[in-house]
Amino acid sequence: MTSAAFRRSFDSLAEIFAFTGDTFAREGIDQRLLPAVDLALEELFTNMVKYSTTTMAPVHVEIVAIAEGVEVTLIDRDVEPFDVTKAPDVDVSLPIDQRDPGGLGLHLIRQMLDSIEYEYTRESRRSRITFRKTRSGAAASGRVTNKGGTNAND
Amino acid sequence: MLTIESGTNGVVTITGRLDASEAPRAQSFFDQVQGTVTLDCSHLEYISSAGLGVLLKTQKRLLGSGGKLRLTGVNSHLSDILGYSGFDQIFEIERAR
Repeated sequence: MTSAAFRRSFDSLAEIFAFTGDTFAREGIDQRLLPAVDLALEELFTNMVKYSTTTMAPVHVEIVAIAEGVEVTLIDRDVEPFDVTKAPDVDVSLPIDQRDPGGLGLHLIRQMLDSIEYEYTRESRRSRITFRKTRSGAAASGRVTNKGGTNAND
Repeated sequence: MLTIESGTNGVVTITGRLDASEAPRAQSFFDQVQGTVTLDCSHLEYISSAGLGVLLKTQKRLLGSGGKLRLTGVNSHLSDILGYSGFDQIFEIERAR
């Protein structure tokens, strides 16, 4: 397992992409999975930065090589729950005048990942998101999991 | 790192990664383009929803004034993202050869 912590800023994205690239190379993870993993990490990390503004704690990222792919975990401490698995679907069939980019990031990663799990620990106010991407995997649309977390908006 | 350059005949070349940290700078560039613009994506390595938002806002503005944004040199990763987001119905797209 390889892990690193990143400052809560969009400017951290370059460091995150360097981290994934280095880890994939060192662990021998299939490079073809890297664009989808970078996309998922960016969308989840920027959500944390945008919507959890009461903490200055860095976001921790862990990467583990698994059979045919990779498992990635983001851990955000001292935050309110925000269950990404409960985000509403985006209607991508709407005409352009009714389209809005809001929610598109989470929609995209549900299409591209094998699975996404969300867990919130109320005692430590910790959000934990784990996703998997493998060569043979399919979209996560039917395999998003909530492990007892609740949305701040519920 | 992202670079965007205007060429001849309404062709704009975009190179690098269009992520959330680069989207504001990209939006400033695309806010200035007019008419029908061909965006050469041959060297666009990566795009996220923030980058898609830039393209969507630009397309809405250009269509409103009789122009449009065309995407060329679209690689398989970008093509997947455009398809998943429904943007393949909003943009004229030419795949990379």
